[in-house]
Amino acid sequence: MSLPVVGFAGLTHLGLVSAVGTASKGFRVVGYDADGTRVRDIAAGRMPVVEPGLDDMARTFAKNLCYTARLADLEACDIVYLSTDVPTDARGESDLSVIRSLVAEVIPALGPQAMLVILCQVPPGFTRGLPLPPHRLFYQVETLVFGRAVERATQPERFIVGCADPQRPLPKPFAEVLGAFGCPILPMRYESAELAKIAINCCLVASVTVANTLAELSERIGADWHEIAPALRLDRRIGAYSYLAPGLGIAGGNLERDLATVLKLSEGAGSEASVIAAFVHNSRHRKDWALRVVHREVLARKPDATFGVLGLAYKENTHSTKNSPSLELIRHLQSWPIRVYDPVVPASAAPHPAVTAAGTPLEAARDADALVIMTPWPEFRAVSARALAETMAGRVVIDPFRVLDPAATQAAGLSHFVLGTSHGSVG
Amino acid sequence: MLEHGQGAPLKPKRVVVIGAGGFVGGAVVRRLTRDGVPAHGLTRKELDLLADGAADRLTAALDPDDSAVFVSALAPARTPALLVQNLRMAEAVGKALAARPVAHVVYISSDAVYADDANPVTERSCCQPSSLHGMMHAARELMLKTDVKAPLAVLRPSLLYGARDPHNGYGPNRFRRLAEKGEAITLFGEGEEQRDHVFIDDVAQLVALALSHRSRGVLNIATGVSTSFRDIAEKVVSLAGSRSEIRGTPRQNPITHRHFDITDCLKAFPKFRYTPLDEGLARAMQPE
Repeated sequence: MSLPVVGFAGLTHLGLVSAVGTASKGFRVVGYDADGTRVRDIAAGRMPVVEPGLDDMARTFAKNLCYTARLADLEACDIVYLSTDVPTDARGESDLSVIRSLVAEVIPALGPQAMLVILCQVPPGFTRGLPLPPHRLFYQVETLVFGRAVERATQPERFIVGCADPQRPLPKPFAEVLGAFGCPILPMRYESAELAKIAINCCLVASVTVANTLAELSERIGADWHEIAPALRLDRRIGAYSYLAPGLGIAGGNLERDLATVLKLSEGAGSEASVIAAFVHNSRHRKDWALRVVHREVLARKPDATFGVLGLAYKENTHSTKNSPSLELIRHLQSWPIRVYDPVVPASAAPHPAVTAAGTPLEAARDADALVIMTPWPEFRAVSARALAETMAGRVVIDPFRVLDPAATQAAGLSHFVLGTSHGSVG
Repeated sequence: MLEHGQGAPLKPKRVVVIGAGGFVGGAVVRRLTRDGVPAHGLTRKELDLLADGAADRLTAALDPDDSAVFVSALAPARTPALLVQNLRMAEAVGKALAARPVAHVVYISSDAVYADDANPVTERSCCQPSSLHGMMHAARELMLKTDVKAPLAVLRPSLLYGARDPHNGYGPNRFRRLAEKGEAITLFGEGEEQRDHVFIDDVAQLVALALSHRSRGVLNIATGVSTSFRDIAEKVVSLAGSRSEIRGTPRQNPITHRHFDITDCLKAFPKFRYTPLDEGLARAMQPE
């Protein structure tokens, strides 16, 4: 008996990685997107997203993959995942109009027994309201992590599946696809699965917020959060993989979306959610850490300073700049000359009237009074502190993610400001 | 957060300063005059906001192209009677601004509008005054938001100091006067409380900046550096070359601190720099 055919409607970052990951398990996959240019690029191997391992895997399993801009091609699929992006507004709330119109297009194109699986971030209650019989309609939690998306798509910890009746076995083709990944499958009612996705993100944000709160305190009282975090990870109640690295608030947009969803749902339901508001508040505060250090450590002493900025992407190994702390910092440095370098994102993405593009990290640092490393790209770790000291005019290196080795940086005579260490205190 | 109506600064045509006879109002008028901005200062002598017909007189003094700075207050408003009087003053100003809309309005409020435990204070901190003075400013802000159709900038200063301060409250001004006379400075407890003290010229400069950008919204006026009262007393005594004794007293109340996160100011006015405390205290102690 032949394996089920799986479709993905929306060749977004999530859709594309999920499609390639499913193809790697031996299934025939149809990847649909209305954007014909995007489809042609992907089919030609020009991937619109940067994700370690994605290009190789797509080449290896090319025989299982078919990309199309024709909606009718989804008719051959036993299961179609809806994998479009759900944009957010300025308050972080989801704009569901895109997914609603895609649902309206896809449902008529489905085969008579085909299942539709919502893979996008939607608020609780969304899936149940869709016009498809319950035995053909599912929701599945996605846990895409930019920069680690292939690993997450091919080796998931578990599948969380929302369905109308969790007591009934999943339809055979769907169970077959999920079973190929060899992880636990947790069926639950639609609303529980939709809220489970949000719950995962709230737990991650809680960890990050604890780290950020105590990292700031560490900066001010002479402690070093980098000494504390490993001790916490050895505590089984906290866990080796917990999100304890201090950061510049919550970036990327999806976590903020879930916080906004919980606040909105709680307001409507009358439940207490002030801790969620506190997460948002703390994130906003920490997002400006680098700006405060820039003013205190550089501009207060040299009002006409020049800056080098390494990294524009919101995190390493991605081209995404959505809610990027780097762009936010640059937006507030428009009165000063800056030179930027990012391995993937072009300098033109920087919101600055006179930004200069650099071809290498050292070129970005040349003659700068201060260097700010806003994205922890792996290649920045190879930058020599001694070479930086020789090329820079000033001594300040603002390195929130501790990309450079603190000892080497100090030995080169640079002042190294890092999140979570008292050395990087901003008072 | 302040939003600028004018990205590039432009000199206002004329600024009417309501309350020009006071510590802040006087500094604003001097600053504007120095910058070449026509400033029309109204002191209580020209305009008593508690007198009958005050709103009409103010209306007559305003032109549509004017910017207005409302700083007049009976401060600190420690009693219910003072609270009510201050609100009546704001009512008159609001009536005038409703009757004769101007181009831009700046209101000088206070950080007393914030909850006592709102640390670090930002422009988004909870407004929950614990004093009549704070409630007065919070109410005046709302009154102006109701009456003023022009862009409205609300500036909320922390504790102010400067040579001309007529008040003698606990802090740099009183310490300076005591040190200059060689008299003892008495601290509450050991003077551990940390507060953010702002030099008066910085307030005037920020008002001028808000006017030139026709800004709207809220901005705190605070340096972002909080200092204990004992440290201030020691600095003042040292600067005065005084032999004043600094005396602690048995603590009557728990120690509280106030810190500010001034990131919004860095974003609104990236090139503005607050006067460091040591420099400000030294300038406050120079004869004018």
